[in-house]
Amino acid sequence: MPWSIRKSGIDGRKAWPVPGSALWLLLRNPSAVAGGGIVLFMALMAVLAPWLAPYDPNALNLAARLQAPSLAHWFGTDEMGRDLLSRVVFGARVSLVIGLVVIILAGGLGTLAGASAGYLGGRFDNVVMRVMDVILSFPSLVLAMALAAALGPSLKNAILAVAFTQVPKFARLARGEALNIRERLFIKAARVSGFSAPWIITRHVIPNCLATIMVLATLTVGETILVAASLSFIGLGAQPPTPEWGAIISVGRKFLLDQWWYPTFPGLFIVLTVVGYNILGDALRDVFDPRLRGGRL
Amino acid sequence: MKTLKRRFVGAVLLALGAVFAAGAAWAATPKDVLVVGVSSDPSTLDPAVTIDNFDMREIFPVYDRLVQYKVVNGLGTTAVEPMAAESWFASQDGLTWTFKLKPGITFSDQTPLDADAVKYSIDRMMAIKMGPAGNFDSLDSVTVIDPLTVRFNLKHPFAPFLQVLATNGGSIVNPKTAKKAKGDDLAQGWLAQNMDGSGPYRLKEWLLGERLVLEARPGYWGPAPALKQIIIRIMREPSDRRLALEKGDIDITESILVDQLPQLEKNPAVRIGRYDGQFVEYVYLNNTRAPLNDKRVRQALSYAVDYRGLIDHVLQGYGAQMRGPVPSGMWGHNPKAFQYKRDVAKAKELLKEAGYGNGLTLTLIYSERRATWEQIATLLQSNFAEIGVDLKLEMMANPALRDRVANKNYELCLGAWSPDFGDPYMFANLWFDSQYGGMPGNRSYYSNPEVDQKLRRAAEAGDADERLKLYTEVQDTVIEEAPYIYLYQLKAIVPMRKEVEGFVFNPLLESMYNFATMRKR
Repeated sequence: MPWSIRKSGIDGRKAWPVPGSALWLLLRNPSAVAGGGIVLFMALMAVLAPWLAPYDPNALNLAARLQAPSLAHWFGTDEMGRDLLSRVVFGARVSLVIGLVVIILAGGLGTLAGASAGYLGGRFDNVVMRVMDVILSFPSLVLAMALAAALGPSLKNAILAVAFTQVPKFARLARGEALNIRERLFIKAARVSGFSAPWIITRHVIPNCLATIMVLATLTVGETILVAASLSFIGLGAQPPTPEWGAIISVGRKFLLDQWWYPTFPGLFIVLTVVGYNILGDALRDVFDPRLRGGRL
Repeated sequence: MKTLKRRFVGAVLLALGAVFAAGAAWAATPKDVLVVGVSSDPSTLDPAVTIDNFDMREIFPVYDRLVQYKVVNGLGTTAVEPMAAESWFASQDGLTWTFKLKPGITFSDQTPLDADAVKYSIDRMMAIKMGPAGNFDSLDSVTVIDPLTVRFNLKHPFAPFLQVLATNGGSIVNPKTAKKAKGDDLAQGWLAQNMDGSGPYRLKEWLLGERLVLEARPGYWGPAPALKQIIIRIMREPSDRRLALEKGDIDITESILVDQLPQLEKNPAVRIGRYDGQFVEYVYLNNTRAPLNDKRVRQALSYAVDYRGLIDHVLQGYGAQMRGPVPSGMWGHNPKAFQYKRDVAKAKELLKEAGYGNGLTLTLIYSERRATWEQIATLLQSNFAEIGVDLKLEMMANPALRDRVANKNYELCLGAWSPDFGDPYMFANLWFDSQYGGMPGNRSYYSNPEVDQKLRRAAEAGDADERLKLYTEVQDTVIEEAPYIYLYQLKAIVPMRKEVEGFVFNPLLESMYNFATMRKR
């Protein structure tokens, strides 16, 4: 977009975001703005849940069971008279925590393993990557189910299970980047100067693949939330009364015929969140990955 | 983006497909085929092993028993009438019962149903010593007098003995099945998945998790049933069952959420039968495990439950709070017995006394067997939270749940019970006598020598007044000691298509159907 650059340049005023910068590119990308908006909205909802939710998400009110959406209960009530809006709002918290923890765990471990494998090469590389291939050879949902079932049904275990299935993605990406970076001059310089491999990996290799890792992380959050909700749906994730979206749908599906609102709203929020992260991730990739800029996968 | 797009298109197609599949109205089931939508597979088909009504539903139409419950004016009763037996007489002292069998009854392979077959079946059931044998404690031995005469020798007089023979433990199995035995399993392995009886139906196929099919058995000695085929469809979701019933894919269903009844009733093709049952739901508390081995903790939990809200709202009034173990409608029920009422302060105090003033964590297991259980579990969780008990919920498949209870490997468990015969024995002896610990009935593993002794006396006594006195005393004790949380007694709700006729409800045959005498218009 040379025209815009020129324009702001002529203007002479200090512009923020700086034209040409990543943020500037993002803000000019409609899907990034839409995706980012959704993600921000969900994040705010999660953080402000106690102030936004009109009721205690776990307070039973048997006299108000299964009420249709109304002014008092925007999303209606569930079979125990709990306010569904409050449960959905608090559910954003659970989903956000799941998304973040999984990304930190899987992203951290995967990046470290992948970058080390790529940088060190040889047998270490072979062993690590074959292990990753084995994990990758399972469909992630099936593997997560098996792990969650083996660990015992709880939110913590579901998070661990999902994180485990996401590690190889990060490992492969980080390894590819590391293979590239390893040949760069500054790495060779560091090596010649006697810096140890761990130091080079953590100070040089990993920081240099961070941009692409961030893109993958954003794209993965959506999938993570979906898998975690699926685990909760089949009873292997969040345990009652935790207001997790998948868990709410799981109970609510029994009431779908006459009380449509019950599973519908948490379902919409899952869709919205996943779509939000996916569009944002795509846009981030467009911006940060020069090889893909303008193109599509 | 391409993959994302492709995925999205795939998802839309999938959703549309699901909508069409659900919307397609199948033609009603054929006139001589009855389809029943049920919530779970039978756990076993062996009449000597199970006391689960969901299993008996399949067992009863396949096997004959000596006697059966009489139907009077379309209503099931607790009185019995001949089935495979022609006539019988009891000795004066009530210690021997002699049965004359109907001649000419045969199993599918032409083996006659004779005194040997009766002896084989009863001996086998007694040797297996599972739940059904619990009803037969008074039985000492079975003697073959001649091919068509068989005698039961009792250890002590047992008033409801004749009724006991109408329960599934009294089912007569083809003696040739002995050949299917593997090692010393008494053919349990084979009979768990196969049936070989002399009744109006036989097992055609059983596809686990999908359906179980019974077909009319050629050569049946009684009148040929109007329904040639019975298809038991396993449909875990209550809303699936309801939809299928409305569409005519199934003819009868069970365990529908009460919240769905008003809508369901609007469908002119559906009739909802409501019956006064003796079906109760309660919570087993594992009495062998700390902290539930402390009476005060059990009482505290009993005081914590919001019985009123549970019955008025979750059950929409289709039930009444239990008053001790023996349900109303059965003799021995004590309308003046003590009833726990919600009392949070008292519950907290009891917990404090027991040393759990700072709260404790317990786990409740339950299955999808009853549509309301999820709600009951949620309510208990919330009620218990108010007295400082953190209740973890764990839902599992019914067979897994039974294993956990059978192995004492649980803390709290939701349970349901209905009587096989019309005697408080079903609710007192089986629930509280320590010798029936586990699946036979004492699922809390409650043990109190004084109660054991009284119950055994009550089972043996011939005098009704004495029995009543003993059962009343026992009930007072077990209400006070609270080995279970006594929740509620339910009304039976049986939704079916209007063209189904001849269904007879009997509180002793809960969740079971008289297929052989039912028909479709």
